[in-house]
Amino acid sequence: MKALHGFAGFALRRTLGAVVTLLAISVIVYVVFYAAPGDVAQITCGPRCSPAQVHQVAEQLRLDDPLYVRYLHFLQGVVAGHDYSTGTSVEHCSAPCLGLSYQSDQQVTQLILAKLPVTGSLALGAMVLWLLLGVGTGVLAAWRRGRLDERILTGITLAGWATPVFVIGLLLMVLICGQLQLLPFPQYVPFTEDPEQWAWNLLLPWLSLALIEAAKYARLTRSAMLETLAEDHVRTFRAYGVGERAIVGRHALRGAVGPLIALNANDLGSLFGGAVLTESLFGLPGIGRELVHAVNVVDLPVVVGLVVLTGFFVVLANAVADLLYAVADRRTVLS
Amino acid sequence: MRHPSRRTRRVTAALTVSLIVTAGAAACGPDDNDAKAGGTDAKPHKGGTLTVLNSAPQQDFDPARLYTSGGGNVPSLVFRTLTTRNREDGAKGAQVVPDLATDTGRPNKDATVWTYTLKEGLTYEDGTKITSADVKYGVERSFAAELSGGAPYLRDWLVGGADYQGPYKDKGKGLDSIETPDERTIVFHLNKPEGEFPYLATQTQFTPVPKSADKGTKYEEHPVSSGPYKVVENQNDGERLILERNEHWSARTDEERKAYPDRVDVRSGLDSSVINQRLSASQGADADAVTTDTNLGPAELAEVTGDKELASRVGTGHFGYTDYIAFNPKVKPFDNPKVRQAIAYAVDRTSVVNAAGGSSLAEPATTYLPNQKSFGHTAYDHFPAGKSGNASKAEELLKQAGYANGLTVTLTHSNAKDFETSPEIATAIQDALKKAGITVKLEGLEDNDYKDTIQDVKTEPGFFLAHWGADWPSGGPFLAPIFDGRQIVKDGANFNTGQLNDKSVNDEIDAINKLTDLDEAAQRWGALDKKIGEQALTVPLFHPVYKRLYGKDVKNVVISDWTGVLDVSQVAVK
Amino acid sequence: MASEGARASTETVLAPASGVRQFWRRLRVQRAALVAASVVALLVLLALAAPLLSAVEGQDPTTYHPDLVDSARGGVPVGTFGGLSADHWLGVEPQTGRDLFARLVYGARVSLGVALAATVVEVTVGLVMGIAAGYGNRWVDQALSRFTDVVVALPLMVMSLALLAIVPSGFPRPVLVAVVIGLIGWGSIAKIVRAQTLTLKQLDHVAAARLSGWSSWRIARRELLPALAAPVITYAALLFPVNISAEAALSFLGAGVKPPTPSWGQMLTSANVWYQAAPQYLLLPAGLLFVTVLALTVLGDGVRRALDPRAASRLSVGTGRKKEARA
Repeated sequence: MKALHGFAGFALRRTLGAVVTLLAISVIVYVVFYAAPGDVAQITCGPRCSPAQVHQVAEQLRLDDPLYVRYLHFLQGVVAGHDYSTGTSVEHCSAPCLGLSYQSDQQVTQLILAKLPVTGSLALGAMVLWLLLGVGTGVLAAWRRGRLDERILTGITLAGWATPVFVIGLLLMVLICGQLQLLPFPQYVPFTEDPEQWAWNLLLPWLSLALIEAAKYARLTRSAMLETLAEDHVRTFRAYGVGERAIVGRHALRGAVGPLIALNANDLGSLFGGAVLTESLFGLPGIGRELVHAVNVVDLPVVVGLVVLTGFFVVLANAVADLLYAVADRRTVLS
Repeated sequence: MRHPSRRTRRVTAALTVSLIVTAGAAACGPDDNDAKAGGTDAKPHKGGTLTVLNSAPQQDFDPARLYTSGGGNVPSLVFRTLTTRNREDGAKGAQVVPDLATDTGRPNKDATVWTYTLKEGLTYEDGTKITSADVKYGVERSFAAELSGGAPYLRDWLVGGADYQGPYKDKGKGLDSIETPDERTIVFHLNKPEGEFPYLATQTQFTPVPKSADKGTKYEEHPVSSGPYKVVENQNDGERLILERNEHWSARTDEERKAYPDRVDVRSGLDSSVINQRLSASQGADADAVTTDTNLGPAELAEVTGDKELASRVGTGHFGYTDYIAFNPKVKPFDNPKVRQAIAYAVDRTSVVNAAGGSSLAEPATTYLPNQKSFGHTAYDHFPAGKSGNASKAEELLKQAGYANGLTVTLTHSNAKDFETSPEIATAIQDALKKAGITVKLEGLEDNDYKDTIQDVKTEPGFFLAHWGADWPSGGPFLAPIFDGRQIVKDGANFNTGQLNDKSVNDEIDAINKLTDLDEAAQRWGALDKKIGEQALTVPLFHPVYKRLYGKDVKNVVISDWTGVLDVSQVAVK
Repeated sequence: MASEGARASTETVLAPASGVRQFWRRLRVQRAALVAASVVALLVLLALAAPLLSAVEGQDPTTYHPDLVDSARGGVPVGTFGGLSADHWLGVEPQTGRDLFARLVYGARVSLGVALAATVVEVTVGLVMGIAAGYGNRWVDQALSRFTDVVVALPLMVMSLALLAIVPSGFPRPVLVAVVIGLIGWGSIAKIVRAQTLTLKQLDHVAAARLSGWSSWRIARRELLPALAAPVITYAALLFPVNISAEAALSFLGAGVKPPTPSWGQMLTSANVWYQAAPQYLLLPAGLLFVTVLALTVLGDGVRRALDPRAASRLSVGTGRKKEARA
């Protein structure tokens, strides 16, 4: 009971901490971008805007107000939504409203939501692959410690870990798309439209991401397993003739579950915030690519919205990871 | 406006508005026979679904907001205009022909009043009659601030246009300079002679819009069709458009649009490499696919030329377009004509053309006007640099200008990956000028920043890369915005980069604008270009060439010099 | 991930290795680290000798050779293996005909230089913030620690991309890239330094120094810095390859150094489309980047083992921030 209380307290503190961090991030991002030099209304509106439109944007952004008032207004939109007048009609932007992108005539939230399935597909598929690859390698490495195949596998994962995704991605592209012509150059096909094409097209990006992520998982699995395998009760099992397979699967792996979940939550969180490089390399129309685009055309509302959102995913993932870690930890202690 | 994705050559009118949405480029092979190589039965038939694979979405699918050359490509399937471009290959396609109207317009004596008569039996997709009042309303709503995006000519040319706020403000107030004496007649009153008004009337602002159906900014979701297809679906702000046959359109009133396919499926937001790969594989529905905005890039061209079957499915087109070096003589040392001439001599056009994608994708330019007849192209090369630059002549001029020990200058360019004003071109110039003792520092700006900088007379640099595209295939919209002294804009987007205000040039522009004989006008534009060229305010670099793939079952590929692009209204898939 | 790396590393109180000699002894026995060290040494040599090497080849990284590319075919290099010849040891760049070998060795300067400078910025800011937090009173510590948390949570790639876009173009680019990477990446070092400082503060001789009225500055310099050296060097060695990746990634996205300065990331961007028509143009910079990052990572791992053999097995791979610079 006391342990639970302690955990609840920890959870509450962790959540509050996450909220405060997120607020701080949004303040920094907002101030950095909206206090930057230049005519904010003109920049935000884009080069095609007439003076009348620029004026309208300036009004909607409340540029006459001091910066902190504008920030509070932005925050209000995130929490409660806004109504924007577009001249002929009033547009409602419901919470969480991250503002309007004047350059693409869309609400930032809508714009991001439209891109989320792409980034989600990329992240989730890659996750499945890196877990299979990473944990598999880790188990094998622990099991066959010191032998040649273990060394080679560990070497490969280390090489994968050390390389930026676009290098791996480009190398895979030369090999698989260019020389062997096994896969097409990836394009995004929505899962709802054609699941087979969806998977087929995303295979290369998934593989690129998984190759660089797998190493961490392999290493984590390996060290956690080695620790457990060295423990007394495992040795006892072995003495009693419990099969090696059962020991590895049922007992040794269990110790690795907690940290693995935590690590995975973290990785997934930051990937959801936009795999900028992977998406840019393969031309996948996800959140990361949208950000590169928004940065290039200086679409401030989108840039701010995306950076805050990315921060949100990272902070959320960290908090979830910590909580999961705590839960898993408690279970291992209790069992 | 969208940022160009990599490998897409952006067809951008210098007015910073993308024409790619509407013009772009594609085509038929080196000669017309290639088009027929597409299918076994070359004769086009009705039926089937044409797929269009594009990178830029059809945002703002509202005739008031589109910035097109000649009415655009996909938009032209839905929107008919008073006049339109001739849907034929090559130079013939650069002519203006009647569309909704019975002729290309009847001017008064000094070309300040233009009268049009609508054909009989014109109807919208719901069967209701198209009237001249609807055309007037279509023009008027393009003045509304919330429907901005079109070309600036209407505001400049129509009497009272400069102050008109559109029909939404001051409830129902119209523009008095457009008269509709009866249901089929419409008269435009201009504040100065404009012999090229028929060209302007090809733009989508001259599309009829029924007042009862106008929903302001929401009209773009389902604009009422006057053309052979109507909008059935518009997803994600123009990312996917599905068009189906408009049963109320009649080929009897429309000599230009062939409309073979029953259905047109426009899919946008695709990466340019994906588009080219899909067209090259040409599988399934992609066998019936074309693109109206994605060119082959240099690397893709290298692959395609190695494959006979693919090479037969490449269309080549020329759009009136020039990439050039611009000088601002208000900035030292470019006030000295000898310095400008020295740079013109030193430029290595072979390197520049290679940086732009090689001789198949760019033709070296020594004239400012595009090398097409309709522009009145008159050949000249005032400062012959040869194939790879004349460094010694450049050095000699520099010495005369007082820079015997060399010169250091800054070249401003964009960081957009467009192979036009991009770093590749800038470094090619930097390398060539080094041989003439000119040290070039590069100042690369993000694309929007670059446009803002070069288009503001207060920040305009002395030496930068620029480009200009045709709003219609004539010398007028090519020379006037750049060299007419009265078009120097002090507080807004200025395109007269050389800030030239020469009375003789201004007078000649006025004189040509009075001409309603377009051939005679073209000749005079060509002569004017040659004369202005002597001042070395620009160094023309190259005219891009568009090469595009199309699916293997695509027939009847027509590419005019007006757009340089395969015309979707002519394509058949059966 | 950020907190993951931080968690693992703050737990680890590194025992200072007794002396430089012991460090070398421990490093020397690791075969992989030795190989990596020689590779790194070679790369540094390449970078430093770039002008000399390209002079020996008779080329420079910016001169165009239009005659060496096939203009009608999009500018693909003439000849086999991307125009490989006695004049051009690794062939030429498509479209421009610029010498690839010269561009690669000059690119090494940018990669290594920017990454080094960024690491220096990270270490400096991290040390200052960490010591101030660990040594200051409760409020200072709270404020600085929260701030560090926020900085650690900022998405590196996203922030630097956005920041690089709004800084005026007049600023010298390599310096700017290094500073931006550094200013966003110091958080994890600050966390370790703070934890170590808190531990050190309790030690008798530091407490004694404080009681005898030494100034904070003197204590930091004489007592704290020497003790912090081992963990900071360890961490810096791990951050270095991360920064190489970060610079390459930013250049790849067009936000890094500007042309005509060659950099590997930038070469990869333009090479990207040539994967079929001129694969060597892509393989060369990609391979070099791969080898560099791998060698530096293995070396960093070796340094860590040598400085603290006990902790090596416990630390999870990497600094956490890494992944983001890669994805």
